[in-house]
Amino acid sequence: MGRPDSHSASPPYVELHCHSAFSFLDGASDPGELAAAAAELGYPALALTDHDGLWGAMEFAQACKGFGVRPIVGAEVTVTAAEPFHLTLLVEDAAGYRNLCRLLTKAHEHTRDNPQREAGQPSVALEEVERLSEGLVCLSGCAGDGALAGRWERGEPGEAEGLGRRLLAAFGRERFRVELQRPYWRRDRTRNRWLASLAERLGVSSVATGDVHCHDRRRSRLQDAFVAVRLGATLEESEPLRRGNSASVLRSPATMAERFRDHPEAVTESVRLAERLRFDLTSELGYRYPGADDLDADRRLAELCRELLEDRYAGRREQGEARGRLEEELRIIRSLRLSGFFLLHRDMLELAREVAAEVRGPDSARSVLPPGRGRGSSVSSIVCYLTGLSHVDPVKAGLFAGRFLNEEISAVPDIDLDFPRDIREKLIPRVHERYGTDRSALVAAFPTYRPRGAVRDLGKALGLPPGEIERVARMVDFYGGPQAIERDVAAAIGDRRAASVRWRRLVELGCEALGLPRHASQHPGGMVLSTQPLVEICPVVPAAMEGRQIAQWDKDSCADAGFLKIDLLGLGMLSAVERCVEEVARTRGERLDLSRIPLDDHRTYEAIRRAETTGVFQIESRAQMQMLPRTLPQNLDDLTVQVALVRPGPIQGGAVHPYIERRRMLRECPRYEVPYEHPSLRPVLEETLGAIVFQEQVIEVSMALAGFGAGEAEGLRRAMSRKRSEAAILAYRERFIDGAVGRGVRRAVAESVFAQIEGFSGFGFPKAHSAAFALLAYQSAWLREHRGPEFLCSLLNEQPMGFYPPDALVHEAQRRGISVLPPDVNRSQVLCHVEGLEGCGTSSSLATRSGGRTVSVLSRDRSGAKRSDDAPHPLPTLGVRVGLGYVNGVVEDEMKALVAERESNGSYRGIADLASRSGAGRDGLERLAWAGALDQLGPGGRRAALWRLGTAPGGQRIPAGTQLSLSLEPPAAPELPELGRWEWVLADYRSTGMTLGDHPMELLRDELGPGVALSLDLKRMPDGGAVEVAGMVVARQRPATAKGVVFMLLEDESGTINLVVPPPVFERHRVEVRTAPLVRASGRLERRQGAINVVVSHLARLERPDLPLAEVRHIEPPIGRETGRERSDWEPLPEELAAVAPAAHSFGRRGR
Amino acid sequence: MQTRVDGVPLAVGSVAVESVREEWLVEDRWWTPQPLRRRYFELVLADGRDVVVFEAEDSASWFLQRA
Repeated sequence: MGRPDSHSASPPYVELHCHSAFSFLDGASDPGELAAAAAELGYPALALTDHDGLWGAMEFAQACKGFGVRPIVGAEVTVTAAEPFHLTLLVEDAAGYRNLCRLLTKAHEHTRDNPQREAGQPSVALEEVERLSEGLVCLSGCAGDGALAGRWERGEPGEAEGLGRRLLAAFGRERFRVELQRPYWRRDRTRNRWLASLAERLGVSSVATGDVHCHDRRRSRLQDAFVAVRLGATLEESEPLRRGNSASVLRSPATMAERFRDHPEAVTESVRLAERLRFDLTSELGYRYPGADDLDADRRLAELCRELLEDRYAGRREQGEARGRLEEELRIIRSLRLSGFFLLHRDMLELAREVAAEVRGPDSARSVLPPGRGRGSSVSSIVCYLTGLSHVDPVKAGLFAGRFLNEEISAVPDIDLDFPRDIREKLIPRVHERYGTDRSALVAAFPTYRPRGAVRDLGKALGLPPGEIERVARMVDFYGGPQAIERDVAAAIGDRRAASVRWRRLVELGCEALGLPRHASQHPGGMVLSTQPLVEICPVVPAAMEGRQIAQWDKDSCADAGFLKIDLLGLGMLSAVERCVEEVARTRGERLDLSRIPLDDHRTYEAIRRAETTGVFQIESRAQMQMLPRTLPQNLDDLTVQVALVRPGPIQGGAVHPYIERRRMLRECPRYEVPYEHPSLRPVLEETLGAIVFQEQVIEVSMALAGFGAGEAEGLRRAMSRKRSEAAILAYRERFIDGAVGRGVRRAVAESVFAQIEGFSGFGFPKAHSAAFALLAYQSAWLREHRGPEFLCSLLNEQPMGFYPPDALVHEAQRRGISVLPPDVNRSQVLCHVEGLEGCGTSSSLATRSGGRTVSVLSRDRSGAKRSDDAPHPLPTLGVRVGLGYVNGVVEDEMKALVAERESNGSYRGIADLASRSGAGRDGLERLAWAGALDQLGPGGRRAALWRLGTAPGGQRIPAGTQLSLSLEPPAAPELPELGRWEWVLADYRSTGMTLGDHPMELLRDELGPGVALSLDLKRMPDGGAVEVAGMVVARQRPATAKGVVFMLLEDESGTINLVVPPPVFERHRVEVRTAPLVRASGRLERRQGAINVVVSHLARLERPDLPLAEVRHIEPPIGRETGRERSDWEPLPEELAAVAPAAHSFGRRGR
Repeated sequence: MQTRVDGVPLAVGSVAVESVREEWLVEDRWWTPQPLRRRYFELVLADGRDVVVFEAEDSASWFLQRA
């Protein structure tokens, strides 16, 4: 208490009871922080004993090794009882580890046995603990809830002693200890005296532990707040369950010895016990994957591949090269004993093929498509290509396999497979069936605290007003440091409020919480398989989705454990493409085989070069659209580079501008000589014009310039790609520069090239991955160009996905002449679908009906660009009908019933007919009415429909469904005023999240004055000229690579506008930039090779007294939706906006 | 109140401390303008009384309460 920690030459104490942040919302330090603090304090060993889990055990073990601290594996296990209690279980040997994993699996086994499958409190029966006690050392538990101390605290010393004797019988004198803790609570001394005397009576030793919850005193307050968050309470309300002081910080051995000065023998026992606990998680797992021991695997794989090669390459000029590559890969695979690994993946793909056939059905237009596609570096392997694990011919595409497969790799390589979502959903439980539920599991993921979540959680714990919390959550940037945060908070809620103690504490807590895991979740698709029971290697817990289970380790821990991880990823665009193929078959009777579409379609590339790529896979983002008119891709190879170019690696490595500039030079002067830093780099960087764009190029450059071996080069790539180790990178830097200089390269050149590699730092795509994605990008661009309505329809049905919400997708499609029709109870399906338009001519006269009135969607000249084939862009007789499921709040089953009834017994003739036959409840019908879906059932529009619904006898919800009513037509509605144009927009956003008629900017245009340019006008304005624009904010981005520049994408009624907000302007207008849904901006027009930006000098919130601000939504798409990265910051919009937020399918589809 | 260098009471008023039965620490309300940090001692005094004293660190004052 208040004494400084001090080192001791011979540590008198070892901490055997310690929680990390993987005791979710209880521990407040990550395993690395604990390991570092332990080393700093002079601990030779440290046990990690998180609640009911080993979630952080591997990370802790790895971190400890780096700091020279011996990690001890353990857990604080909750035991089932009328009053559940805790035991601290520590692993002594491999048998103990297996038993602990089994116990923890048991503890979680029934935690989701409830209809909502919400996670409950894990606990395991004492009988199971007794049965699986071998190899474990049992400490009697913590001061508050421990098996003995807890009962003593509750005045049950007799029961405590009885339980102690039972535990002694189970574990024996050598492996049972009475645990003494000193949390500085009121009855510590009395309790410990009693526990020590009980230990004597039982004939066992007592041991002192610290019940550590954080590594540093600064985190004590966060630990308090976490407890409140866990309880869903404020700090005041959670007082009885908080620790009450900061005594649970990791302190030095000497300090702890002093704390337990009344029980020196218990302190000494901690050291003696730690000496015995020698199980090493990093080397004693004994994991093997299925097929690892198959002695015949080499022969089977070789025979399979050779046969497939002769078929696939028959008569092609690449056949000889392919044979050579195959034999080389097979040789490496044999030497690495990985044949079983590839056969296992092949087996998995065959299983996927079966599942795909079931999901798609035999007559589906999708049946010609492969069940999934490869992604990642495995696409470079010819073995993967031949066995169906990749769809890109690596010989033809010139892909380099060294990143994926080389003789020096130290871990099993990754093979990632993308599947349409519906196939993946069925495939995962089938994998559990095929390999056994005790031998397969999904990989865990740990959503970590990010700024918005931290403000919301911690603000609530601090009892701050919800409105203020929300304002700050949307404003604050915790990565800017405490001063910037304080300034943001002040900007959001005012200086006086920001200066209050609670808000200052929120800033402190928020900074401390960032990056700590909040709870466990599941990886988007990583699965681990094992030959021996997985539940003996890593605890397994049920997932939120029925039929799935999760291992307690994330992908990094699984990789450290050497687990074979197969990524079965759900890729939204793959699903959308398959939907599109089906929709095309339905509407046009055409069976599209995407593997046979021309890969050099002029019209598709023209559109790509004009950056008309909204909705196209990978090249639709604001940044990509800026780049496309400058790089002007001509073919799939160019698209492969394009996909990889707009990534942090190439951007930070300084690759982007040289690549763009050299492409321009080559276009303008075909004899232009691309400069290379060194001649040896020409062969490896030629395809990217001397720039490092792909991950493989880091390897290839290291080998070519510095003479690295393949494994050493891969080591450099890994050192930079995962939790970056400065020391490791420094070591590689020296070797790289020495190696290059030794090969005659000038030191300055070697340093410059290494700086590019370091800047790249692994945050880029392997070329093989880019090639796979580029093909899908092209296919989606082709569909957009040639099957526009079906493609839009598929995107709408597959939300959430991509960069743009449905509102923006629809507006962009309307500007291209695609009709989007409102929901209609007599026309709509549950999902969106494509239907023929009645009485429409060419695209120039297309119009949509929006709730009984005609809205021109092509009132302006759109692009002025002449199309390559002069064909009308979309098929003029098809439009996209919005599905009833897009209406917020309706019940999916009711909408299905409504559609089924209509298809069986004919259209609804009126509102009473609808109310009596549809099976939908009053609430659902009212929501449909607000969305305009009843407009065609009678005159008067939405208000009249609502009024008449109010008088129509509707169905009544009963447990068995809906009791239908008699069809008695209600009286006509009285004269009700038509919805105003703003009201119309409001109703659209409220009901479907998108407006098909007036754009909000169209309604504001007259108010803006003549000086405000339309997005369309920018194309005709001179470079460098002053300009003023206004629009609805579609996206705000502040990339870490942009040095403080904020990019905003606005949408007005004629298109989109890119704003570049320089740091000083951002500083002046932080609130508006971050929060305003509609803005007006003035600045300078900047034109660069077809890309147009407005460099902002002044920006203001666009306001009007009658402006329904709630109608306009803030859209900030999450990063890396398709890559499965965490998106804890993609959180629901605040209550006041939620009602009108766009992009909401009503059946829980968004966010899935 | 007389204390040792480590802050443990030696005497309450003029009555010597016979033994320290318990010692505990309360740190709370750090998120308010009145944070609380109190170091408590349950003492047996030389005159046989059992008392609880605490030091409120914000005021550096000692308080006596019934055990």
